[in-house]
Amino acid sequence: MAIAKAERLMNLALCLLGTRRPLSKRELRESVEAYLEAGSDDAFNRMFERDKDDLRELGLVIETVESLDGEIGYLARRDSNRLPPITLDAEEAAALGLAAKVWQQARLAGAASGALQKLRAAGLPEDVDPYEPHSALEPRIPVHEAAFEPLMLACRDRRPVVFDYRKANAAQPGPRNVEPWALECWRGHWYLAGFDRDRGAERVFRLSRITGKVRSRGARFTAPVPDVVTVRETVASWAGETADRSALIRLRSGAGYPLRAKATGVRELGDGWDELEIPYGHGLDAWLVEFGPDVVVLEPAELRADVVDRLRAVAKG
Amino acid sequence: MAGKPVRAVNAIDQTRRMLSLVTYLRERPGARVEDVARAFGITEDELVSDLDVLPMCGTSFRGGDLLDIDTDGERIWWHNPAALGADAAEPLRLAADEATALLVAARAVATLPGLRESDRQALLRATAKVETAAGEAAGASSRLSVTFESEGGVFADVDRAISERRRLWIRYYSPARDELTEREIDPIRLVSVGHTYVEAWCRRSEARRTFRLDRVAEIRILDEPSAPPEVELRDLSEGLVQPAAEDPEVVVEVGPGGRWVAEYYPHDSADELPDGGLRITLRTPDPASLRRLALRLGRDGRIVSPPALADSARRAAREALSAYDGVDAAGAHGPAGTDPGRHDRQERTR
Repeated sequence: MAIAKAERLMNLALCLLGTRRPLSKRELRESVEAYLEAGSDDAFNRMFERDKDDLRELGLVIETVESLDGEIGYLARRDSNRLPPITLDAEEAAALGLAAKVWQQARLAGAASGALQKLRAAGLPEDVDPYEPHSALEPRIPVHEAAFEPLMLACRDRRPVVFDYRKANAAQPGPRNVEPWALECWRGHWYLAGFDRDRGAERVFRLSRITGKVRSRGARFTAPVPDVVTVRETVASWAGETADRSALIRLRSGAGYPLRAKATGVRELGDGWDELEIPYGHGLDAWLVEFGPDVVVLEPAELRADVVDRLRAVAKG
Repeated sequence: MAGKPVRAVNAIDQTRRMLSLVTYLRERPGARVEDVARAFGITEDELVSDLDVLPMCGTSFRGGDLLDIDTDGERIWWHNPAALGADAAEPLRLAADEATALLVAARAVATLPGLRESDRQALLRATAKVETAAGEAAGASSRLSVTFESEGGVFADVDRAISERRRLWIRYYSPARDELTEREIDPIRLVSVGHTYVEAWCRRSEARRTFRLDRVAEIRILDEPSAPPEVELRDLSEGLVQPAAEDPEVVVEVGPGGRWVAEYYPHDSADELPDGGLRITLRTPDPASLRRLALRLGRDGRIVSPPALADSARRAAREALSAYDGVDAAGAHGPAGTDPGRHDRQERTR
């Protein structure tokens, strides 16, 4: 039976951590049983390269040292792999325990648990069971978008990517060449901010509109990465939350609570209707139409016309 | 352990865990299986499968260097801790992904407005310490961020009611009916998935309900004790809205400008139409609640079925228009629909 990968990785890690001098590939092959069973040199070489990459993903710093006679040796030095001293009290441990389980994405959930386990090995207090909620709160970070993981890695490694993106009102996706800067989750949706190479400007993309695979480009970033990336402000302006004017509407008494909650002024008209002053930003017309006959727009004329136009389209149905 | 995500066996995760286990067990001869599993946030079965692998590991498979670790199912014994030099068993630095996963989550949780102040302070202290310990590995964590939304005051009251096991009175807004209703609820838990919700037993409908905190118009903590019946907690990872198979079907056809519907409404199918639009089939316990959607879509889409829903949207639009004819005979802005460029907006934030 083939030897399990976790066993092979574990043995390679222990060999590299346990040695004080660089070990050659030949020595490693003789020390790890799975490598002896690998068969051909080619098979072993491929396996060994992959395993080193996997261990580096786990955070292991593996050095490559060339000896005087030109042979390459490998080792994981203690001082570059040791966790610096860290002391956390029981409350801090419990708080991290809560944070470690909010990811609903396999890779990050695994990484967060791994981080906690390393801290546990370093003496993180266990008095409070971190896996039982210490508050009634259960925060969860949803990740449903397939594009998330490749983009997360591309942001981390600063690698340009190519993907097909369907704009909100476009039927067909089009290719985008992007230098990805940062991912942000807002109101349960993920967005990518980056430099769009073809447009020569910063753009924000919604991950759910990325179709097909995210492919990596070998090249480096060409545009400088800003210190602060403002995904949320961009998305808020799409969502019509940056109102710069106000509108006057009539609203049936008792109806439209969310409009009342946003109103800057309310006047009872006494005939079963109220008059409200509300912030007027992008998208207000579509929202007001949802309230059907319970809302009448008074001002401005432009908003009024937009709402009437929308209502006519539905009335014709 | 309810609510813990099920993890697939993954060689990377298992290796990472075993490296920490070795350090942990070296310090604790005779550690109890139960305690170790809890400390590592894994099941006892997962731990036992790690303990099956560890005796095959060592600095070399020759000459007795393998780790002699075994368990009787109760306790774990390591008979040759010297097989691993003291410095080969030190805790390992955090990887970039580990630091990112923990720090991004911790920062996100710390932004929850309703978090207890003592918890927030503990979290901020812990975050700073982890940042320092992670060193360079913490750098990439600035490339991911998460903001939870929740209404601070409402949140604090719900959180308190849950910990003190007390009933709540709320005035709650239902967008489907555009109305506020008063209810008494026995809160069970708070859940943040984008928005923050309270899952509760609703005494008015005698059923479990989920309430979005930003739709709670008013809240009071009552003196009565909360007494929710024992209910099994649902796994909410697939989303809060889980339509039932017996719910009536609604079919909506949208043009390119209405494709956002497929992003915001869980649906059974979304088929491409030749004009770049979609034919979307979804289910809802209350089709009338979708009248809002039909009105909002305007020229960007229409309800295909049920016909009664399409009729009610048309009637509502006509009734709304009659108010305009009445109050604005002058037609201040010329004929409607002269400026189609204004209708490019498809975003919708719920």
